[in-house]
Amino acid sequence: MRATILLALVRKELLALGRDMHALVSLFLMPVLFIIIMSLALKDVYSPKIGNLPYAIDQQDQGELGSAFTQRWTKVRGTPQASPATRDAAIEQLRQGKLRYLIVIERGFSEDLASPQTPKAVRARVIADPALEYSIFRGTEAELAAMVGELRAEALQERFTGISREGGQSIRLLVAAERLAFGGRPTAVQQNVPAWLVFGMFFVLSAIASLLVQEHDNGTLSRLISLGVSPLTQLAAKGLPYLGVNALQAALMLAVGVWAMPLFGSDGLSLAGINWLALIVMITAISLAAIGMALALASLMKTHAQASTIGPVVNVLLAAIGGVMVPRFIMPPFMQDIAALSPMNWALEGLLAVILRHASVAEIGGDILRLALFGVVMLALATFLFSRRTRA
Amino acid sequence: MLELRDLAHLYAGSQRAALDGVSLTARRGEVLGLLGPNGAGKTTLISHLAGLLPIQRGQILVDGAALDTARRQRPTRIAIAPQEYAFYPSLSVRENLECFAGVCGLRGSKRDERIANCLAFAQLERFSDKRASQLSGGLKRRLNLAIALLPEPELVLFDEPTVGVDPQSRAFIIDAVKSLARNGTAVIYTTHYMEEIEAIADQVVIMDHGKVLRAGTLSELISQGAPRLRLLIGKDSATRLASQLEAMGECHAEGECLVISLAAGTTPELAINRVAASGATIREIDYGHYNLEHLFMALTQRSLRDD
Repeated sequence: MRATILLALVRKELLALGRDMHALVSLFLMPVLFIIIMSLALKDVYSPKIGNLPYAIDQQDQGELGSAFTQRWTKVRGTPQASPATRDAAIEQLRQGKLRYLIVIERGFSEDLASPQTPKAVRARVIADPALEYSIFRGTEAELAAMVGELRAEALQERFTGISREGGQSIRLLVAAERLAFGGRPTAVQQNVPAWLVFGMFFVLSAIASLLVQEHDNGTLSRLISLGVSPLTQLAAKGLPYLGVNALQAALMLAVGVWAMPLFGSDGLSLAGINWLALIVMITAISLAAIGMALALASLMKTHAQASTIGPVVNVLLAAIGGVMVPRFIMPPFMQDIAALSPMNWALEGLLAVILRHASVAEIGGDILRLALFGVVMLALATFLFSRRTRA
Repeated sequence: MLELRDLAHLYAGSQRAALDGVSLTARRGEVLGLLGPNGAGKTTLISHLAGLLPIQRGQILVDGAALDTARRQRPTRIAIAPQEYAFYPSLSVRENLECFAGVCGLRGSKRDERIANCLAFAQLERFSDKRASQLSGGLKRRLNLAIALLPEPELVLFDEPTVGVDPQSRAFIIDAVKSLARNGTAVIYTTHYMEEIEAIADQVVIMDHGKVLRAGTLSELISQGAPRLRLLIGKDSATRLASQLEAMGECHAEGECLVISLAAGTTPELAINRVAASGATIREIDYGHYNLEHLFMALTQRSLRDD
């Protein structure tokens, strides 16, 4: 008997959801679009490409070391644009963004580099487009310093020992940088797929609230109560279908990351080697939290205006502080502390751990527990609020 | 079948009782017409029967058992056909019926049979695949009716079931309610339309301010009304005489007419002579036509009810 009732109500929820175009768009299309747009838009923020930036070298030095510098820089950063006739013209091109940076090798560069004396003045400088990302600016400055330092070391070595220069390979032989394939900071796709998946999963709030307000308004809720359907059965019938909806969202968003993103010229999301059990448990915990919160908040909403505004506002706020829109790792410490209060952040951190660090269930146990506990508390609150609401 | 004994209810924060000692009985095979202006307590009464409000004082008995017990044993014994379109607009007529059939615990062939019967009863077969949101007002009322009848309830409460429908659908719904009662169902029918109550009610209850003002058969109620004399004498004379003839009974002007509810011991001849003696010209006399509306207005007063 109870199963018949539950089945009939679950079927009703799914039929109503299937015909609610707004809900389908916000649950499926919107997160997919966010994944594609944000991954492409922020691609270079997460993985800056510095080798193909347009730049110029203003070579004022006539010496051998000045020429050697140009050769080495060109080898690393590609062929420069034609150097503007004057410094002012070059700066104007930087302001307009036609050049991203300008390397100036001042007169006396070769002389100062080969001299053991302390240099009298700056002989190499980088001037950048005001819009150049700070990380690229600092990276270019560091590379310039390293290259100039290497040239100076070679010149002094040749002068005092007679051993000739080795073509600029010594620093590269000494220093290596390695970024682990998993761990640390994510790529744009690795950040955006879980982030917008979490956002989309929490958007069940709007869909649940919309139908609940309609049921309250048109007397269907009273009719169901008069037919003996308990508040708990009604809540279960509302929550259960969305476990499936959340699972479908997860499958779709991950598929978009793995297969669709490469079609747009972006890196694909790699799920190779991840702990699938951890992923499934994490998705289930997120779903529990999202549905619990949706049912609790929906039980408070009385009008269609509330359902259509409060849901998105709550979601956007939780997403903003939770690291969905702005990754937590680039937030200042006090904002990172605030982010840790958002269930969306627990969800995102857990998913990132699974996807980037191939974490096991035990390793993300804290996030899973927090989400599950939050979901259970919200479900209990929803039961209380919904029961109160079904009294006339 | 259903008996209310001294039912009372006071909403939190309210000074006036929504129900104040209401007693009434609905029997199988009969239509109980429930009349009352806004604020009479009808909605509170319906909420009690729907199980939405706890009983504060008094009793509701279903075949002698407390309502709570009866509802626990079989909640579908009492069905409410609410005033609102209480179904899912995005679902088709059939999908709505399938949903509520499931909610009523109907399964398999029994479910299919009940859906077919209710579609036929409400003459909705042609519209079974149509979305409920696309139905006309009359068809929506019929769907509301069909859903209410799915579990074969023993008592159906219709809450203003003909509001906003065309005359054909209204006649159809009234005939359907009559046939339900003929087949042994107890029916409570609330409406503002007096002629509907006159057409179908076996018993009539008039309520106001949470109290039952009158209860009985239609003829019993009408016979209880004060004799009413209506004289067409012109607006000025009607207004003037309304305050001069109070000794004859309750008087008031209604447009160009003077209406007197004759007090005990006063005859129509006496009242007519007094009016004629006052110099007014009597152009039309109406006496003895006392209907439910007159009784209802007399009992519930003429002031507007906006709550």
